Amino acid sequence: MGARVTTGRTLLAAVMGFGVALSAQAAEYPDIGPLPQLKIDKAKAELGKRLFFDKRLSGDAAVSCATCHVPEKGYASEEALSPGYPGNGHFRNASSLVNVAHRKVWNWDGRIGTNLNDMTREMLTEDYTMNMDMRIMQERVKQDPLYVKMFKDAGYGEPSNGSVRKAIPEYLKTLTSANAPFDTGKMSASAKRGMKLFKGKAGCIQCHNGPMMTDQKAHNTGVPENFDVFMDPMNHQAFIAFTMFQGIPNYMNLKRDPGYFNVTLLNEDMGKFLTPSLREVKYSAPYMHNGMIKTLAGVVDFYNQGGGKDSNKSKLLKPLKLSGKEKKDLVAFLEALSGDKLTSDKHVWKQPYPSEYEAIANWTEVRN
Amino acid sequence: MHLKKITLSLVAAAVATVFAGCQATAAKHEGAAAPTKMASAQMAMTPSGPPPLAPLGDAPIPPDNKLTPAKVELGKLLFFDPRVGGDASTGCSTCHEPEQGWAWAEDFSRGYPGTVHWRNSQSIINSAYFPRQFWAGSASSNEKQAKSAAKGGVAGNGEDDIMEARLALIPEYRKRFKEVFGTEWPIIDDVWHAIAAFERTMNTTGEHEVPLDKYLKGDKGALSEEQVRGMALFNGKAGCINCHNGELTSDTDYHNIGVPPNKRWEEDGLAQITFRFEQYAKGQTEEGYRNAKSDWGFYYRSKNKWDKGKFRTAPLRYIAYTAPYMHNGVFYTLEEVVDFYNRGGFDEEGRTTLFPETKSSLIKPLGLSDQEKEDLVAFLEAFSGPEIEMEKPEQPPYAPLFTMADLKAAQEAK
Ligand code: HEC
Ligand code: HEC
Ligand code: HEC
Ligand code: HEC
Repeated sequence: MGARVTTGRTLLAAVMGFGVALSAQAAEYPDIGPLPQLKIDKAKAELGKRLFFDKRLSGDAAVSCATCHVPEKGYASEEALSPGYPGNGHFRNASSLVNVAHRKVWNWDGRIGTNLNDMTREMLTEDYTMNMDMRIMQERVKQDPLYVKMFKDAGYGEPSNGSVRKAIPEYLKTLTSANAPFDTGKMSASAKRGMKLFKGKAGCIQCHNGPMMTDQKAHNTGVPENFDVFMDPMNHQAFIAFTMFQGIPNYMNLKRDPGYFNVTLLNEDMGKFLTPSLREVKYSAPYMHNGMIKTLAGVVDFYNQGGGKDSNKSKLLKPLKLSGKEKKDLVAFLEALSGDKLTSDKHVWKQPYPSEYEAIANWTEVRN
Repeated sequence: MHLKKITLSLVAAAVATVFAGCQATAAKHEGAAAPTKMASAQMAMTPSGPPPLAPLGDAPIPPDNKLTPAKVELGKLLFFDPRVGGDASTGCSTCHEPEQGWAWAEDFSRGYPGTVHWRNSQSIINSAYFPRQFWAGSASSNEKQAKSAAKGGVAGNGEDDIMEARLALIPEYRKRFKEVFGTEWPIIDDVWHAIAAFERTMNTTGEHEVPLDKYLKGDKGALSEEQVRGMALFNGKAGCINCHNGELTSDTDYHNIGVPPNKRWEEDGLAQITFRFEQYAKGQTEEGYRNAKSDWGFYYRSKNKWDKGKFRTAPLRYIAYTAPYMHNGVFYTLEEVVDFYNRGGFDEEGRTTLFPETKSSLIKPLGLSDQEKEDLVAFLEAFSGPEIEMEKPEQPPYAPLFTMADLKAAQEAK
């Protein structure tokens, strides 16, 4: 699927073109601020919600999207490395999905730059996430009378794999920040001081800017490798399958996550990852593409020492010389970016799914 | 990740249909041009009638996949290893269970977790002799068959990249693939080569020879009197020899003998899902997908309407161990099968194929007496010898490819 990479490459390049002219002064970065409202089709989103929590959308009906994107954990996973589809592990941290619809580029390495429909397809079909033959998925959905009704009510007509990939993104649009002190103006004094540092002395704004607090560009911050990717064969096999499929040279000997290199195949992009959003970050520990940093205080320490060790590291990262108090303030600000947990049934499908597929009555008489 | 998982729109499916049709036609010529040596020899001996039953010779070995003991041993390990599949739960032996006739003892085979299959699991015993495999002959060799079994959504549901990655992390496999195929890392195509090599040794020859073959080679004591009477019926009044003939007990051709659809499709939601999926997977047109209510068999390959409901003449050796019978497992005993033929291709409720127009003219009521039916069943039992048993090999373990020292050095060098 070379086409997927090319799409990612082209679009990401376009997004990146944006920031180039901006100077290094904080004032000139797109300001952090409230997120724009998204228009949501209720019936479609409701359908997407039921699909998101339904294990029958994976090949062996053992995992749903929510297995790795856990509502309680900011729609991320509490493990450093995401769980995998049964029989596999994973080589990256499961991204938080809160506000994901506000992004233009997805995955830690930015390999998808089209839309959430493609992103959903990737999650459904990839061997080590859901390993779903979407033709089987479509027939499973058609076998569930409630889905048949919900697809109809949503205006999709007969259930199809195409409308599954539309309904889930509609649901993802509902996962947006609510009542974060940062948005409601109810930040503590410490958080307010932290915000000042964020925009000033600590220089976070250089990359974490705009309403989503991300430039959606790739940077190398020198996060150390998570050796569990390679020492646990379950994770390593997923990593090998991924790099093999992506056409990364010498993938059997690779001992690091290539990151954005995967998109451009340029050496200068080795070890770069997309700047993540910082909204709702309180809930989605551990942090970074491989979960190597356990707490927000740990992240701040990491930046305070100028990031990690990598010859390719971003020039924007330097030791910050923050005092103990300043570090606390910065953490308080990061925490103030998180609002209500999205764990009520407004966002979570809590009704049980049928344990068996009902047979279609009069099967010989009705059209398939 | 692979494209097959992205549903074609029905229009695209219809285009694919035409393409698949061409392939099937070409493949059929191929098959017709290369009958087994034995079968052609017999054809010459009896120009007027079907070739008589003949003892099973050696399995044909393709020149590009020679058998070596090391390759066969590797193939055996892989055949029993569920990591050759999607979630590492369902390997070849999962549905071809040695204790269930190297098949699966339910009407529909068990499926990949979360699914059920839509056809009966065939025994792998003697499969190597067939120019085309599967009930409707959709694979042209054991190699191609193994590949499609490991990848099919209701069978292995595995993808090449993940299966290859797993094998690379199992030192025992790295060693064996290198020995057998000379590659540094296991290559997925060689998995199919090795499994096919193993299957080519899984035959009813040698110590597993069946009584019928002993008899045909001159051991007149190998069959009972009853069985000898049954043989006469098989070759005469019952007309079985018209299709079950020659060395393979099969003309390797496709016929509609009147097998009725399995009623499970009317009652079992999971089976209905697979049924519709298979219509897609086999390249049905929109109309076909909407209307199909039974397995169209050979039609999926040829796309000729006169091929609806046709299946490959099933071989008869080893069937004592492989109940239930037919492509959809509707008959659980050989008695039921004989009754079905005796009624001219109807089950006990009078059900038959949904495609009476393509039904073979060779299938008609036989007028067998009870005694004759018993004799025929007794003869069918002579197609099976000792059970082929095998202890399941242990799965070689995974091990990390790198050491901590390797990884730390790489980290330092960044
Ligand atoms: C087995 C675990 C797993 C499952 C199941 C899973 N995901 Fe993911 N998801 C991940 C991981 C890991 C990543 C990060 C992948 C990467 O960067 O390479 C991710 C990334 C994403 C992203 C991109 C986030 C971003 O900000 O870039 C979206 C969107 C997403 N998943 C949606 C879904 C949806 C929708 C489903 C269900 C159809 C799903 N995921 C199922 C593990 C999973
Ligand atoms: C050079 C650009 C850049 C600067 C400057 C920067 N970051 Fe980041 N930030 C990133 C990137 C890229 C990642 C992801 C790195 C990875 O996964 O390997 C990241 C990750 C994070 C994360 C983890 C989020 C998650 O969901 O895992 C936090 C928290 C964070 N940064 C906070 C900060 C703070 C606080 C500052 C200022 C002290 C800062 N960043 C400065 C680019 C930057
Ligand atoms: C989920 C169950 C399942 C799994 C797993 C499975 N098979 Fe099968 N096998 C079947 C069924 C059912 C058929 C008949 C399918 C058809 O005709 O469409 C079959 C047919 C065959 C045949 C054809 C025999 C003949 O006479 O034509 C061979 C050979 C075979 N399988 C070998 C394998 C190998 C090798 C593997 C592993 C790579 C495998 N199977 C995995 C269920 C399975
Ligand atoms: C017109 C050709 C034809 C004739 C005549 C014929 N068969 Fe068959 N036989 C087939 C085909 C084709 C199948 C597979 C049908 C299916 O799966 O739907 C089959 C299947 C079988 C099976 C099931 C094997 C299995 O592994 O499931 C048995 C047993 C059998 N035949 C015995 C007989 C006997 C006994 C006779 C004579 C009374 C006979 N056949 C006559 C073509 C024929």
